[in-house]
Amino acid sequence: MAAETGTGVIVAVRYFAAAADAAQCEEEQLVLDDGATLGSLKVLLVERYGDLMRRVVESGSFLLNGVVCKDDALPVGDRVDVLPPFAGG
Amino acid sequence: MSSPVPLVEPGARLAPERLARYSRQLALPGFDDVAQRRLANARVLVIGAGGLGSASVPYLASAGVGTIGVIDTDVVELSNLHRQIVHGVADIGRSKLDSIADTVAGIDPATTIIRHDVRVDSSNILDILADYDVLLDGSDNFPTRYLANDAAALTGKPLVWGAILQYHGQVGVAWAGHGPTYRDLFPTPPAPGTIPSCSEGGVLPSVCAVVGAIMGAEAIKLITGIGRPLLGTVTTYDALSGRFREIDFAADPDSSPITELIDYEAFCGISSEPVRGDEKSAVGSDLEPNFEPGFDPGFEIDARRLADLLADGDPIQLIDIREPYERAIAAIEPSELIPLGTLVHRIDEIRRDIPVVLYCHTGVRSASALAFLRESGFHNASHLVGGIDSYSATVSPALVRY
Repeated sequence: MAAETGTGVIVAVRYFAAAADAAQCEEEQLVLDDGATLGSLKVLLVERYGDLMRRVVESGSFLLNGVVCKDDALPVGDRVDVLPPFAGG
Repeated sequence: MSSPVPLVEPGARLAPERLARYSRQLALPGFDDVAQRRLANARVLVIGAGGLGSASVPYLASAGVGTIGVIDTDVVELSNLHRQIVHGVADIGRSKLDSIADTVAGIDPATTIIRHDVRVDSSNILDILADYDVLLDGSDNFPTRYLANDAAALTGKPLVWGAILQYHGQVGVAWAGHGPTYRDLFPTPPAPGTIPSCSEGGVLPSVCAVVGAIMGAEAIKLITGIGRPLLGTVTTYDALSGRFREIDFAADPDSSPITELIDYEAFCGISSEPVRGDEKSAVGSDLEPNFEPGFDPGFEIDARRLADLLADGDPIQLIDIREPYERAIAAIEPSELIPLGTLVHRIDEIRRDIPVVLYCHTGVRSASALAFLRESGFHNASHLVGGIDSYSATVSPALVRY
């Protein structure tokens, strides 16, 4: 789990569409360990929000400060947007 | 993003009757007779005469876009009508292109509608797009979305894309050379089967209207040069909250340049080969059932085969893994309802001593359920290829299709 009570980095996470459905909220602030990576954020989200969020994590885009990130080893920065794709027309 | 120059040069002067038709938009601040002539001279290509096409094409026509090409190969079905409002009851069974053309003609017979009755792919999109100024993607699948993005990028034409699912919508503009593209937002397509389609997950019709109307507005803005296009911003709509939220995004610094069209089905992990069960059941299991002679314990069973088994009274357990609302529309009987979402909790109800056949609407969910059962040791399970839709089309036309 993240060090919610520790002295970590504060990350503002916004959830969209199925990500918001999974998190039951549109945005929240998470306190992560110093040096937290995108990968550790994903682990935390799945731990918190379960299977629905796992599906989002597997297929959705994570934008770190407005740039899509595919590398789980990168640090999360201070602003993350979680956006699942869908193709209905 | 700075406001780009208008995409289309103005056409000829408009007759007074045309000016009268457009008087309520000519009155708009920043919109004038020249803007109207740009629209008249514009050629817009729309992929899909479905929900988003229904919500964008009529507005493009009514606003005065002179030429609208539409790509679609489908025919109108009853289950389209709740959201694809260019089509009506009388259009069921007709080509969607003919239907949307009639609707547009009813709004303005001067609009030129070009019908592209083709499956759009890498082999034809560039030829089709060559005759147009802007591309609108209202398709219903990921391969086409990446195809549309790449074709627009290669030709330097702007793409207006919209997507809908359940209560959610997304819409944006991609324009290589002017801002980021769809690939900068979604660099990797989702694995097949991980994102439901509208037929699986449902969609609120007014979400189509919202997203399609925004797509129409973006096209009009690009053509006339008014406002600022949704470049580098994706607008999201949540009908349950009634709120819009935007995400500003920049180009992906790690993305590869788009240099050619590719095989988008393969890119999206979709095989053109049907999935076949070529592995046989585990040998020597205590749970190995005694199959009826001639029953293939492979992964798949087609509609005719299932009909034969049911007609012969062979002992099988037929399980409907759809939702109750679907079963109320049509069901293959005798069967038991175990919705997919409850299967994991109701696995004790699955027989191990006789063949088990799973079915859903089109065979996508049942394939997923089958994989789960196989992993759980049910080597006696198979699923109906094409689902009840294929069963109705092939052997039992009295079953209502949806």
